[in-house]
Amino acid sequence: MADGGGWRPPRPCETYSAEWKLCRSARHFLHHYYVHGERPACEQWRRDLANCREWEERRSAEAQQSLCESERARVQAARKHTLVWALRQSPPADWHLPLPQEEKDQ
Amino acid sequence: MAGAPDESGPGSAAGEQMQQQHVACQVFPERLAQGNPQQGFLSSFFTNNQKCQFMLLKTLQTNPYVKLLLDAMKHSGCAVNKERHFSCEDCDGNVSGGFDASTSQIVLCQNNIGNQAHMNRVVTHELIHAFDHCRAHVHWFTDVRHLACSETCVRDRAILSILAVRNISKEVAQKAVDEVFESCFNDHEPFGRIPHNKTYARYAHRDFQNRDRYYSNI
Repeated sequence: MADGGGWRPPRPCETYSAEWKLCRSARHFLHHYYVHGERPACEQWRRDLANCREWEERRSAEAQQSLCESERARVQAARKHTLVWALRQSPPADWHLPLPQEEKDQ
Repeated sequence: MAGAPDESGPGSAAGEQMQQQHVACQVFPERLAQGNPQQGFLSSFFTNNQKCQFMLLKTLQTNPYVKLLLDAMKHSGCAVNKERHFSCEDCDGNVSGGFDASTSQIVLCQNNIGNQAHMNRVVTHELIHAFDHCRAHVHWFTDVRHLACSETCVRDRAILSILAVRNISKEVAQKAVDEVFESCFNDHEPFGRIPHNKTYARYAHRDFQNRDRYYSNI
């Protein structure tokens, strides 16, 4: 989305900074290596942080575009696995209904 | 009902219990009993029920995993009400809790949950089942792949969990887990990431609260 009017970075710049810092921490390295068998890739967070600051300071259109592309790639990566079960269109009808014994009491 | 195992640890997954209606009364006797359960001897100043209620309240108010799950469920149309959706009861065996899809209720085993950290884990675990039930058509009893999916965190533990509650061969269980593992292991909803500890859970909650800004600016 590059409509200029009213756009702002998807996350506050402090968030990109926090994510980059967490990514580079020893604890995260251990978690990530244990689960995936390879070291985490943190460079993209650093780029996103730089682009965020670039946009904040200079309203750079390139920074805006890079940031959008980066976040869209993240969303795509998260959605690439099809779910095992079918998603509901609406929540279960009986979620808020009273419990059966409450109905008997009434 | 999907049961939570007792104290976590790499080898202890076999405590997982999944109950059909005719078996449920054996582990959750109060689910089908009439009238109030009897208190046994008074072992301390507070009853197990009171301790359970108190610890549950603390979890709901302070635990970052649970707070995100509650927000996500509210957003999905399944707002959670403590009195309606939680029940502290005595249970048989080593089960810590369960999610009863037929009554939309989380059962907490007041005689088996020992401390606040344990309560935090059980509530988080069962809320994930409730969340999955809220957002998807989960066939808890009729599709072993769905069962595998709801319990997937570590492959071998998922296999053991299924074998504990289904009379099927190890090969069938392994196949079910392998079929769904790739998809289910990568389904991090509502966290958006594997929340290894409370810091990750807090970041996940922050991202969840920021989602409107996020999706309208990418």
